[in-house]
Amino acid sequence: MTVPIHYFLVLAAALFATGAVGFLVRRNLLILLMSIELMLNGVNLTLVAFNRLYPANHAGQLLAFFVIAIAAAEAAVGLAIVLAFFRLRGSVRSDEATALKH
Amino acid sequence: MEQLQLQFPSSDFSLLALILLLPLVGAFVNGVFGKRLGNQGVRAMALTAVGGSFLLCLVAFAMLVAAPHGHGHTATRFTWNAWRWFTIDGGTSAVPLDVAFSIDPLSGVMMLVVTGIGFLIHLYSTAYMKADPGYYRFFAYLNLFIFSMLVLVLGDNLAVLFVGWEGVGLCSYLLIGFWFNDEKKSSAGKKAFIANRIGDFGLLVAMAMLVYYAGTLRFSTLEESHASLGQMRQLWPIAGLELPSWLIPTEPIRASVPTLVALALFVGCIGKSAQLPLYVWLPDAMAGPTPVSALIHAATMVTAGIYLVARTSFIFVQSPFAMAVVAGIGALTAVFAATIAFAQTDLKKVLAYSTISQLGYMFIGVGSGAFAAGFFHVLTHAFFKGCLFLCAGSVIHAMHHVIHDEEQSQDMRKMGGLRKHMPITHATFLISCLAIAGCPMTSGFFSKDEVLFKAFSSQIITAQKGLWVAPAWYGQAIYALGVIGAVCTAFYMFRAYFLTFWGEFRGWTIVKQAKKAHGHHAHDAHHEGEPLRGQAPHESPWQMTLPLAVLAVFALFGGLVYAEPLHLTALERFWHPVFATASTHVVERAGAHGMMLPLLFVGAAIFAVGTGAAYVVYVVKNGQPAAAFVSAMPGLHRIVRDKWRIDELYQATILGFFDALGETAVAMDKWLIDGVIARATAGIVQVFGAILRLLQTGRVQVYAASMVLGTAGIAWFALAPHATAELDSSKLRSNGELIFTAAPGHGYAYRWAEGDAAMPSEFGSKAVFTTQVDRCATKTVRLEVKNVFGSTTETKFTPCREMGNNCCARIAPSPQASTTQPVKVAPVEGSR
Repeated sequence: MTVPIHYFLVLAAALFATGAVGFLVRRNLLILLMSIELMLNGVNLTLVAFNRLYPANHAGQLLAFFVIAIAAAEAAVGLAIVLAFFRLRGSVRSDEATALKH
Repeated sequence: MEQLQLQFPSSDFSLLALILLLPLVGAFVNGVFGKRLGNQGVRAMALTAVGGSFLLCLVAFAMLVAAPHGHGHTATRFTWNAWRWFTIDGGTSAVPLDVAFSIDPLSGVMMLVVTGIGFLIHLYSTAYMKADPGYYRFFAYLNLFIFSMLVLVLGDNLAVLFVGWEGVGLCSYLLIGFWFNDEKKSSAGKKAFIANRIGDFGLLVAMAMLVYYAGTLRFSTLEESHASLGQMRQLWPIAGLELPSWLIPTEPIRASVPTLVALALFVGCIGKSAQLPLYVWLPDAMAGPTPVSALIHAATMVTAGIYLVARTSFIFVQSPFAMAVVAGIGALTAVFAATIAFAQTDLKKVLAYSTISQLGYMFIGVGSGAFAAGFFHVLTHAFFKGCLFLCAGSVIHAMHHVIHDEEQSQDMRKMGGLRKHMPITHATFLISCLAIAGCPMTSGFFSKDEVLFKAFSSQIITAQKGLWVAPAWYGQAIYALGVIGAVCTAFYMFRAYFLTFWGEFRGWTIVKQAKKAHGHHAHDAHHEGEPLRGQAPHESPWQMTLPLAVLAVFALFGGLVYAEPLHLTALERFWHPVFATASTHVVERAGAHGMMLPLLFVGAAIFAVGTGAAYVVYVVKNGQPAAAFVSAMPGLHRIVRDKWRIDELYQATILGFFDALGETAVAMDKWLIDGVIARATAGIVQVFGAILRLLQTGRVQVYAASMVLGTAGIAWFALAPHATAELDSSKLRSNGELIFTAAPGHGYAYRWAEGDAAMPSEFGSKAVFTTQVDRCATKTVRLEVKNVFGSTTETKFTPCREMGNNCCARIAPSPQASTTQPVKVAPVEGSR
C-alpha cells in the first residue's frame, strides 16, 4: 500500500500556507525566520514527494538537500541580522525595521 | 620658367597649395602663439605669410601669362585638385565635389589684388594697430581673411568658392567687431553677418539648382555645357496648388533655368557686395579698424559679388532678365548710395557709401555684358578706394592723437587744412579722389567710362524669351543713372577732400610747445565744451605712407592696362578667353556705334561739373551754399543725413516682425510650455509619486504581502481557462470564409457552435473552426474551452462581412457591442 501523492501535496501546501501567513502576520523577527523555515520545508516535502513519483535520477531529493543547506546558511545570516537589529533597536519587532524605506 | 612649368604642370598646379597655405599658417601661428610671440614676432609672421603668398602669386601669374594660350575659346587654366571632398548621391547620377583650385586670367588678377593690396594693408596695419592690445588677434584674423579670400577666388567649383565666401564673411564679422567691448561695434559685426546670411541663402539655392539641373558645380564644366541649361521651368502653378485668381494670374508663369540660377546667385551677390536692399551692413561695418575697412570693405571682399557674376558670366548672359536686374540694381544703388554720401560728416561713412555706389557701377558693368569692364572697375576701385581708406586711416590716426574719441576724430567738421600738416596723405588722397571722380587719364576715368559706355551701347541677345525683355531704352536709362551717380561721386568726394585738407584746421587749437601728446591709449575724458589744445597733426610713419604711395601710383596709372580710348587693351585681351562664351551673347546696340568719343567727353564733363561744384561750394563760397541749402530744406537734409531712414524702415517692418514673433514665442514658452505643460508633467509625476510613496513602507512584510498577492494573481490567471481565438479574415471579403484558431493552453479542449445551436456534447481537440459569412451579414460563433482542471468558459464572436460600403454599420449600429471578444476588422483588400 502506498500513500497517494496528493496526501503529501496537501500537507506541503498546508505547511507552506502556515509559513506564509505566519510570515505576513507575525511581528517577531524570530517567528518570521521560523515561518520561512516552515515554507522551505513545505517545498522540501513537495520535492521529495514528487521524487517518489519520478525516482529516475533523484533530482527531487538532491534539490531538497540543496534547499536544506541553503536554509541553514539563511538561518545563520538571518539570526545574525536579528542579533544586530536587537543591538541597534533593543527589540526584535519587525515593524521597527523600516530602514528599507529610505 | 621652363623649370617651373615642369615642376608645376597645368593640370596639377600645386603651387596654389603654397599660396593658400602661407596665410593659413600665418593665421594659425598668430592666433595660437601670437600672445607669446610678442608684437615683433606677430608682425614678422603676418608680413612673411602674406608677402610670401604675394611673391608666389606673382610667380604663378607670370607662368599664366607665359603659358601657351589654349586654342579657340578656352582660357588658360592651371588646376590643382587637392582631394575628393564628397559626392552628392541621388537622382540619376552622383555629383562629385572636389576640393580643387585653379587660376585663369580672371582669378589670377584677383589673386594678385588680394595678396598685393593685402600685403600693403598688412604693412600699414603694423603701424596703425601698434598700440592695440589685440595686435596678434588682429593679424591672425587678417591672415585668415587673406586665406579665405584666396579660397574664394581660386576655388575651381562653386562649393569651394562658397567655403571661401563664408570664410571671408566670418573674418569680416570678426574684424568689424574687433573691439568687441563696444556694444555698438559688436552689434555692427552681427548686422553684417546676418545681412550676409540672407544673401548666402540665395547662393546655396543657386548651388542646389545647378547640382539638380546641370549635375556639376565646376566652373569649366558648367561653361562647356552651359547651353544645356536653357530649359524653361514652370514656376506657377506648382504641385497642383491653387490660389484665388485675384492673388496670382492663372496663366502659367515660366522662367528659364539660367534666369532662376542667375537670380539666386545675384541674391548672394547683393548680400556680399552690399547692394540695394541689403547694403545696410556696409556703412556700419566701418566700426572695424580702418585697415579692415580698406582691405575687406572696399578692396576685396565686397567685390566678391562682382567676381561671382563674372565667374558665372556664361549663366548670366543666357538670361536677359537677370542681366537687366543686375544692371538695374547696380544703377539704383549707385545713385542711392551717392545721395546719402552728400550729407555724411564722418569721413569713413562718406567712403563707405561711396564704396556701395562704386560697387553699383561694377554691377552696371557686369549686368550690361561688359564683364571685362565691370571687373576692371573692381581692379581700379581696389586701388583708389583702398588708398582713400588708408588715407582716412592716416588722418584719423593723426586726429586721434589729440581727440581721443572715435566719432569726433573721424568727423570732417573737426578737420580742415590738413594738407599743410600731412603732405603725403594729402597728395595720395588727392590722387585717389581724382581717380574716383573720374579725372581724365586716371584709372577711375577709364574704368568708369568703359562701364558707362558699355551700359549705353550693349545689348544681350539669347535664343529664348525670358520672363521679361528689357525695353530698348533700358541701356540709356542705366547710363543716365550712372552719369547722375558719377556727378554726385565727384561732388561728394571733393567735398570730403576740401573739408578735410583745405581751409583752416578746426580740430583743436594748435600750440607750438604743447606738452607731448599723451599715449595713444590714454583715453582720458575731455570735458564737453573745453577747447582742446595740442600739437599740430603730424604725418604718419613710413609703414603707413608707403602703402599710400604705392596705391596712389596704381590709382593714377593703373588704368593704362585697359584704356580703350587710347587703344590700350592688354587686360581686355588677357581676359577675353574667360568671357568668350559670355560675349557671344552681347552685341552692340544699333545706333551706338561711334558714340565712344562723345561719351568720353561726357565723362570728362562729369568730372568737371562735380569737382567744380564742390570747389565753388566748399572753397570759393566756404560752404555757404551748403548751409543755405540745409536751412532752406531742413527736412530733406535731415532725412538724407539719416540715410533715408532705411535702417529705421527695416527696424519697423522686418525686424519688428521678428521681434513680435520672438515676443510671441517667449510668451508661449513662459505660459504654455513652462506654465501648463511643465507643471502638468510635474503634477502627474507628483500624484503618482504620492501614491507609490504610500506603498513603500520599508517593512519587509508589506513587500512580501504584495509578492504573495502578485503570485496569487498569476496563479489564478494560469489556472483559469481562456476562450480566445485568432480570426483569419483574409478571404472574408472574397468568399466569406472565416477561420477561427483558438488560443492554445495547458490541457485545453474545445467545442464550437454556430448561431444559437446547442454546443456539441463532447469537448474535442479541434482548435481550428471554419465558417461562412454572408455579405453584409453578421454571424455568431461560440467557443467553449475546458482546461485541465475541468473548469470551462465561453466566448461569443459576431464578425460581420464588410463589403467596402460600410454596410455593417448600417445593419447593426454596434455589431461588436454584444461580443465579449472584440473582433478584428477585416483588412481592406487590394482589389475590389
